[in-house]
Amino acid sequence: MEQCPAMITIENLSHTYPGTRKMPPRTAISNLTLGVRDGEFAILSGPNGSGKSTLFRILCGMTLPGSGTVRVGGFDLFAQPAKVREIMGVVFQSPAVDKHLSVGENLRIHADLYGLKGTDFIRRRDGALGWTDLDGRLDQKVETLSGGLARQVELAKVLMTDPKVLLLDEPTTGLDPMSRRNFLAALHKLQKERGMTVLMTSHVFSEADDVDRVAIMREGKLLAHDTPIALKAMIGTEMVVVHARNTEALAARLRADMGLAVRCIGDEVRLEETENGESLPLLERILERYRADISSISIKQPGLDDVFVHVTSKAVPDHALALELRKAAS
Amino acid sequence: MTGMAPVAFSLAKREFTRFIRQPQRVLGTVAQPLLFWLFLGAGFGGSFRPAGMENVTYLEYFYPGVMLMMMLFASIFSSITIIEDRDAGFLQGVLVAPVSRLAIVLGKVLGATSIAMIQTLIFTIAAPFLGLHLGAGALVLLLMGFLLTGIGFSALGFLLAWGMKSTSAFHAVMMVFLMPLWMLSGALFPIGNVPGWMKAVMLANPVSHALVIIRAPFYGGPARLFTDTDYLLSLAVTVAWAGLCLGLSMARVNRRERGV
Repeated sequence: MEQCPAMITIENLSHTYPGTRKMPPRTAISNLTLGVRDGEFAILSGPNGSGKSTLFRILCGMTLPGSGTVRVGGFDLFAQPAKVREIMGVVFQSPAVDKHLSVGENLRIHADLYGLKGTDFIRRRDGALGWTDLDGRLDQKVETLSGGLARQVELAKVLMTDPKVLLLDEPTTGLDPMSRRNFLAALHKLQKERGMTVLMTSHVFSEADDVDRVAIMREGKLLAHDTPIALKAMIGTEMVVVHARNTEALAARLRADMGLAVRCIGDEVRLEETENGESLPLLERILERYRADISSISIKQPGLDDVFVHVTSKAVPDHALALELRKAAS
Repeated sequence: MTGMAPVAFSLAKREFTRFIRQPQRVLGTVAQPLLFWLFLGAGFGGSFRPAGMENVTYLEYFYPGVMLMMMLFASIFSSITIIEDRDAGFLQGVLVAPVSRLAIVLGKVLGATSIAMIQTLIFTIAAPFLGLHLGAGALVLLLMGFLLTGIGFSALGFLLAWGMKSTSAFHAVMMVFLMPLWMLSGALFPIGNVPGWMKAVMLANPVSHALVIIRAPFYGGPARLFTDTDYLLSLAVTVAWAGLCLGLSMARVNRRERGV
């Protein structure tokens, strides 16, 4: 993995929106450096106003930054935008389709924009549709499709041109959980099969667990950028989660008998902030004494949403600092 | 980069497809100028007696002016769909495609021009009833006049609409900007009998020159017109205007929002 060449290289990128009479200038990105490796599935995340949308607009060539460089597939994005457009596919948050036209007509226009013709077009179109649930809907107008299917038209469009790099801007916004899951499953499978480099903005963390790397931004700066496992390890703790028939009673006994600081959350009894390596012996001890009361027991890693809250919360000025504090305390 | 012509053609075809799927739009844009022409033509008919035009009825005088109006308004109002394209997301997909920025402008402009030409051509059915007869050569010149006018003014519409937030703002601008240009083009009254200052404005108005190249084919074939310096001057102005508006539109599309 380390040897993989970079597909997207962002160096010292800064962007400030020029002020107007009514609004002072606003810095959206400040001195950001970030790389996405070839064939990697990366997620770019951050709270609203963190600069990720601005970064997205810069990456797809719609906005020029104040300073810094971006190279995509070896081409300078600002000097050779046409070269980059040829290898890049973009899925926007509001689908870039004409709702008044049919699915087939939309795909035809997109093919024309990328110079796909004749049997090559038909082959690629049918190949792309194979990834979607749009079978037999070529003549249907996009405005009559559900939100999930309209998003799939957008995906099919992009896939026809076989991009090396795929950028997606919160592509699952507004989709129901099932459509969201299907969309992501197709995306993951595609990415592996075609070896595409995927960079997706998202703040839904259930989407981030099986990606290669996650970048988290806040106030235009990169706060964390690592694999989901490494990010979760950054928080450094595990928790023991127990499901029981009567959680309150079990919690009371755990507190009284074993002196544990447990919390009841929903139908779970949680032992949070267990240091690494302590969880398993603890689990065994609990299981030994209360086996009859327990329906399930597990060790849980903190989720990425825990990491997100940890890293981006205003109370923590900088995650590096937070780690320092943690080390000092322990 | 994908070739320019197929991209422009594909985008223009999209405009046309959308247009013919909205029959109300076809009816509205043809009916309004037709009523304008009939009512104003009938109303002013009795009092229209400009020097040197004794045997021209107002209905006939106003006829090319109404055609010009149809070309102007239909092409400009078709190109404002760029605002809708941007809001609905379609435009983003085009902007990130490896296509020439000129192809994006031409797609919209040629689509809008062809829509306007279809509407205006329906109106040419009235010509024989006015005793106006178009030969084959004159018809070609008339179509060329429509085409150049359409390109110039739909490119102007594109340029103005590109940075606008809403279509209602565009309508307001067009009413205070486009309507006077049309009124001062010689469409409603001849350029000869007006105060000096107004004559200067009318001569500088690109719409006046578009009117000249639309009106002239009804009164002369290519052999006569290509030796007429007034016609050639207006033709040159209209071509230059179209080139200027296309160039400015392309530059506008090329100009990306820039940070500091």
